[in-house]
Amino acid sequence: MQTKITNAFKPFLTTVFFTIFLQLFLMAQDKEFIFLGKVVDEKTQFPLGGASIQIKGAYHEVIADNEGQFIVKTVQKFPFVISISYVGYETKDITVENAQKLTIGLTETKNKLNEVVIVGYGTQRKSDITGSVASIPKNILSQPAASFDNLLQGAVPGVAVTQSSGQPGSTATIRVRGGNSISFGNDPLYVIDGFIVYNNNSYTNTGASNGTGVNALSTINPSDIESIEILKDASATAIYGSRGANGVVMITTRRGKKGSNDISYSTYIGRQSINQKLSLLNASQWASLVNDINVSDNKPKTFTDSAIAAFGEGSDWQSAALKDANIQNHELSFSGGDDKSRYLISGNYFNQNGTVVNTGFKRYSGRVNYERNISDRLKISTNVFGSQTIEDKLFGSPYNSINFSGAYPTLLLTSPVALIKNADGTYNKTSPYSTTPTNPLLDVYETTNRSNISRVLGSISAEFKVLKELVLKITGGADLINSKQNYYAPSNTGSPAGSSTGYQAGSYASVGTATAVTWLNENTLTYDHAFSNTHFLNLLAGYTTQYQKDESVVATGQKFPNDLTTYNNLNYAATAVLPSSDAHKSVLNSYLARVNYSYLHKYNLTISGRADGSSKLGANNRWGFFPSVGLSWNASQESFLKKFNPTISNLKLRLSAGQTGNSEVPPYSSLAALSPTNYYFNSTLVTGISPLQVANPDLKWETTTQYNAGIDLGLLSNRITLVLDAYYKKTSDLLLNVPLPFYTGYLSSLQNVGSVENKGIELSLTTDNIKTKDVSWRSTIVFAVNKNKILSLGNGVNYYFPIAPLGLVSPVIVQVGLPVGSFWGYNTNGLLTADDIAKGVPILAGVSQKEGDRKYVDYNGDGVISTADKHNLGSAQPKFTYGFSNTVTYKNLDLSFLFQGSYGNKIFNLLQQKLEIPTLSLNASATLLDRWSTTNPNGKFPRATNAPVAQVTDKYVEDGSYIKLKNISLGYTFSKGIITKIHAKQLRLYVSAQNLLTITKYSGYDPEVNFYENDNTKQGIDYGIYPTYKTFLAGLNITF
Amino acid sequence: MKKISIIVLLTAGISFSCNKLVEEPSSLITAAQFYKTSADASAAVSAAYSSLNSDIANDFPIYGRNLNLLTGNGSDDQIFSPSNTNPDVRALGTATYITSNDRLKKNWQQHYYGISRANVAIDNIPNIDFDTTLRARFVRESKFIRALLYFNIVRLWGDAPLILHDPTTVDVNSLKVARTSKDSIYLQIISDLTDATNLPKTYSGADKGRATSGAAHALLAKVYITRRDWTKALAEINTVINGGYGYALFANYKDAFQKPTKNGAEHIFSVQYETNLGAKNSVQWLSQTNFGSFNPAVYPGDIPADSTLYKLFAPTDTRRDVTFFTTLYNAATGQNVFFGAPRFAKFIDFSLSPLTNQAQSGINFPVIRYADILLLDAEALNEINGGPTQEAYDAINKVRTRASVPNLTAGLNQSDFRDSVFLERRKEFIQEGMRWFDLSRRGGTYLYDALKIYPAKTGAAVKDTLYPIPQAEIDLNAQITQNPGW
Repeated sequence: MQTKITNAFKPFLTTVFFTIFLQLFLMAQDKEFIFLGKVVDEKTQFPLGGASIQIKGAYHEVIADNEGQFIVKTVQKFPFVISISYVGYETKDITVENAQKLTIGLTETKNKLNEVVIVGYGTQRKSDITGSVASIPKNILSQPAASFDNLLQGAVPGVAVTQSSGQPGSTATIRVRGGNSISFGNDPLYVIDGFIVYNNNSYTNTGASNGTGVNALSTINPSDIESIEILKDASATAIYGSRGANGVVMITTRRGKKGSNDISYSTYIGRQSINQKLSLLNASQWASLVNDINVSDNKPKTFTDSAIAAFGEGSDWQSAALKDANIQNHELSFSGGDDKSRYLISGNYFNQNGTVVNTGFKRYSGRVNYERNISDRLKISTNVFGSQTIEDKLFGSPYNSINFSGAYPTLLLTSPVALIKNADGTYNKTSPYSTTPTNPLLDVYETTNRSNISRVLGSISAEFKVLKELVLKITGGADLINSKQNYYAPSNTGSPAGSSTGYQAGSYASVGTATAVTWLNENTLTYDHAFSNTHFLNLLAGYTTQYQKDESVVATGQKFPNDLTTYNNLNYAATAVLPSSDAHKSVLNSYLARVNYSYLHKYNLTISGRADGSSKLGANNRWGFFPSVGLSWNASQESFLKKFNPTISNLKLRLSAGQTGNSEVPPYSSLAALSPTNYYFNSTLVTGISPLQVANPDLKWETTTQYNAGIDLGLLSNRITLVLDAYYKKTSDLLLNVPLPFYTGYLSSLQNVGSVENKGIELSLTTDNIKTKDVSWRSTIVFAVNKNKILSLGNGVNYYFPIAPLGLVSPVIVQVGLPVGSFWGYNTNGLLTADDIAKGVPILAGVSQKEGDRKYVDYNGDGVISTADKHNLGSAQPKFTYGFSNTVTYKNLDLSFLFQGSYGNKIFNLLQQKLEIPTLSLNASATLLDRWSTTNPNGKFPRATNAPVAQVTDKYVEDGSYIKLKNISLGYTFSKGIITKIHAKQLRLYVSAQNLLTITKYSGYDPEVNFYENDNTKQGIDYGIYPTYKTFLAGLNITF
Repeated sequence: MKKISIIVLLTAGISFSCNKLVEEPSSLITAAQFYKTSADASAAVSAAYSSLNSDIANDFPIYGRNLNLLTGNGSDDQIFSPSNTNPDVRALGTATYITSNDRLKKNWQQHYYGISRANVAIDNIPNIDFDTTLRARFVRESKFIRALLYFNIVRLWGDAPLILHDPTTVDVNSLKVARTSKDSIYLQIISDLTDATNLPKTYSGADKGRATSGAAHALLAKVYITRRDWTKALAEINTVINGGYGYALFANYKDAFQKPTKNGAEHIFSVQYETNLGAKNSVQWLSQTNFGSFNPAVYPGDIPADSTLYKLFAPTDTRRDVTFFTTLYNAATGQNVFFGAPRFAKFIDFSLSPLTNQAQSGINFPVIRYADILLLDAEALNEINGGPTQEAYDAINKVRTRASVPNLTAGLNQSDFRDSVFLERRKEFIQEGMRWFDLSRRGGTYLYDALKIYPAKTGAAVKDTLYPIPQAEIDLNAQITQNPGW
């Protein structure tokens, strides 16, 4: 029975322990016995050298030798109890009756320490890891999501995910431990079943379509994913060398299990509805505003009082474009295996209708994972998935464009006096109040803006045991992405974004395709050996080569005779627009090596290095070397701490340092490229060709040097586990466009200058609050602080302003000492009073400000408000981010929910600014009802006047802190007895809700917003994104 | 079995592993591959021309609004439009601009960008083996453009870096130079233009719109006038008038700004724009910012300072209704729309349908018109002879007669005649990038006295007779000094 002693009794035992100890001590002078034994793995009978054997109550312990043999010399009399322990195995207590030799079998523990974790080019025991690696918890991974990047939010510390907008299938900004780079590539590297994928959204955006970018990650079916590990520090990521600096997301897909043949079907259906609407002026309120503007400009009123009253509510353009929408997902999979083969075949259909009319996202995908042991020494495997996604987007600014335009802001800004539909039911297309006489709702309904993406990602690998412990692995694979984008604005629609077309062009069609192919070949040799079961050595060496190629074509036509062929036949176009095409290719060759050494699984060392040669860098600097070293110490395995077990069930200290890189520059960046320009002689186009950039053969990668220190602590038999990490990262040789003197004829050249630092603390605390037969409750808190600071921009440059939309002033600055992309503008201090004017307080230079206008703060005290008064208004980077997830089970019921939030991040609410500028043509925010006027002298908003100068002010740089109930789900898993009647192995039903609750002070639709998507210098800018929504779902998982 | 599989695996591994680390761009031309044929030479010259009508970042081109923001908003012709959201545009109109003004920076940048393109052509073309006549012509055209841009620079900013070759390094320290004196830059301009006077007198067919020897002489005349070298100026003017170039005034003033009459007898040098070339269309922003919609509540980007500009014109002056509009016909509604205060009309392309489609405007920007030469002729004669000669009267009256304005009052003294010529220039060249240059070249307090008439511009001072060097340029290179007063 003593072998069955479980952890639950242990605290009890420790108290008894000292009593026994005392008695034994008193008996210590007696005769010595010798007792022999052997420790083996109960399952494999493999000897466990290094196991520790201790007589209960005795002072010393003995260690089993290489063959698992041990000798105990003791003065204790039989029978006595010995305790046998080994890392990763359940500790076993045995009563020894006599001196007969015993073989003691230990069983592997189910606790996390023994878990094998996926790391770069292999797996590692979790206890041996020296770096910072976080796994996405299962309960979060099983939440319904359109794309797996949605699931990373709030799940582990140090991974910040921001959805760009609510558009189904849109991109997200993902940052692991802050952004290292200013200009290029801050996205982590994805490794999907060993295949390296750098998520390049430009492969899925051809230029034919517009609006938000298409997320290439959404091509992957999230329910195929078995586990996600995030590699964060240099010890873990240096094996990915010049692409490891931004962290690595290791994705492993599901595979079949030995000895089963399962058929699973899972589905969910749901309904989405908009979280909130912005409050805008209604028709009569807007008409009064127009009158007020006229009055303050000394012009006659436009509307009579009776006309204003008659307008009433008018048109609600916002509501007319929004609707509740359905979402559904179906998945069927077959999986299983025997001694020699494992397989998984799955198919998925996902369909999310948008909450804005005429938008949505669909995915069809299939996967085959198969592996077979051809012989004892040769194993082959393949992972292949294919998918097609169809995304109907709300049209807007072209992808990667800096200018603002879009269907959604236009809807909000359209005058409520303009009719949506005429009395006869047709769409109204005239508005005397609108600058662009279009019907934005009609435009949204009628415009086709569709992206079709097909993707196949497949790899084949063979593992060959050259020697017993030496494995050669050869992998070959390809990632093929093919995008076709179709855009058609029929003759009855208004201007599509960024071009003067629509009504003016008659009709406008654009088609584009892009294909991107990545070929990857990886060859690794792994040597794994345990010396005397005390020294564990794992060596890895490899050579990999990757070839990337992308090609794209866009063709456009205007003025079609009718709308019958839409974008399908540009030959019908009366006006052809110049087509364009592009192509790039690049090569990355790498050598990699790693040594993992562990002494008794107590002291662990990892040394890794990778040499990368990239064709994209300058001819003089193609090769870079990225080393790292990591140490860890399982202190809880030391005898002086063992006695605190299970109070302190696990204590591990980790330390690592290393360098990783970033070379995500576009191909050809180092070359003296020439670019075409246009001129006309005799009214005929001629093409001019002239230098675009000066060659920089010294161009190289950015280097991030990272230090990490961490503690893994488990208390009370790991019912409380804590992971705490502190890190410091310095990224130098930044790839920056260094300003050249303008007189050279060049604005800038891409060079390696400047540095950025990120430092932070990450904490993850998991507690099993209740753990009984019927009830369990587990909570996880994750918390991360990251401070980002620009240390240098090189060459005496102290700041620069990123390119702003045409005619606007940049709301952000990149300045030494500040976080990347800090908002730059004026402080305001209410409104100008008559008293202020009389006193001559500073007013905006060049503008005759009057009573009731915005009062700006003269920051430098020079008596005038000029650009010199602008200063740092905060940045989009949060002070800290956090997540709080809980899983509660009661018998067959399970409940889980995740709160997730961000604190201290700022958002530049450009939409609100635009909505608070009173104009004679555009609608405005309802906040303007409280505008200053002689009759409302306490109004909080400036007086109505035509075209005040829009400034970046603290009024519109808002606090973007939020806390969200990201998801909550309640499920019921049927008992075996019931479901065996229907021959099922498992059946679970659940209901779930997403984004149910958001607590924030932010006045826009959602504080999760990035109009500029991945542009690192322009994070946190809101210009009328696709609004976000909450989702209610019901689902079913059944396995036969 | 095993051996075979090993061989297969190794072969597969090796065959994958032959990727070379070289960049051979298929979608990009690099400098090393270019400047080898006459077609390459031609493209290099076209690139220099295109710096006049387009911007690399799709900003306003030099001769498509950007220079006008300095010469128009900076003068007494314009202040700013309520629709100008960029405070830097407003600041130019209110004499409150500062050294970091983004429009000043953009102009500076664009001028040097064009100079760089001209330099590349001038440096590379002589090394290409093709027809020597054509080769010389290409170089001279490039020199004309370089001179035109330096002439703007030296008038706007005074001393400036004189760059005649493309950089070969990206190291900022080795790219640092100081400002070259105004006089030395003028010497370079004169030398480039003198060479450019060997250009053909006219072009036929496909080459219409290129710089001619007449354009070089005309630009030289403007250079000498600005330098107050009246005699040399007059010599160049006489060459332009009597050199057999066939320049003449259009009978209709409107024809100077119409598509069918582009590159006509009055146009000595124009920056070219074209309609309906889709993505290859350079936007003539002066058209677009003069007219955006039929909504009177919506202001275009550029508007007259106030109604006094409009009132300068006699109602019979045919230039008035070409330069301004107050009412426009909306073909879509079949109605005339009354806009109230006069707005600029000169660069609206009225041939477009719908009229709001001004992004497609094909109206050329006339850099030098024959009317300019006639008025410079009157000015030079007045200066040389201590007062107006009959020839001087004849010159100005030709311009006035074409506009249906009576002859200038006879018997004016030198000073009054000078004032009359400048007034005539103002009326003739609204929105043609002249006014600020004309005000500043008269020297003394003339410029800011003219500005101070407007309450919005009362801050104008002597420092405004030269624009400040963009602050970013000084920040980057301490050798660049700032202009006095800034």
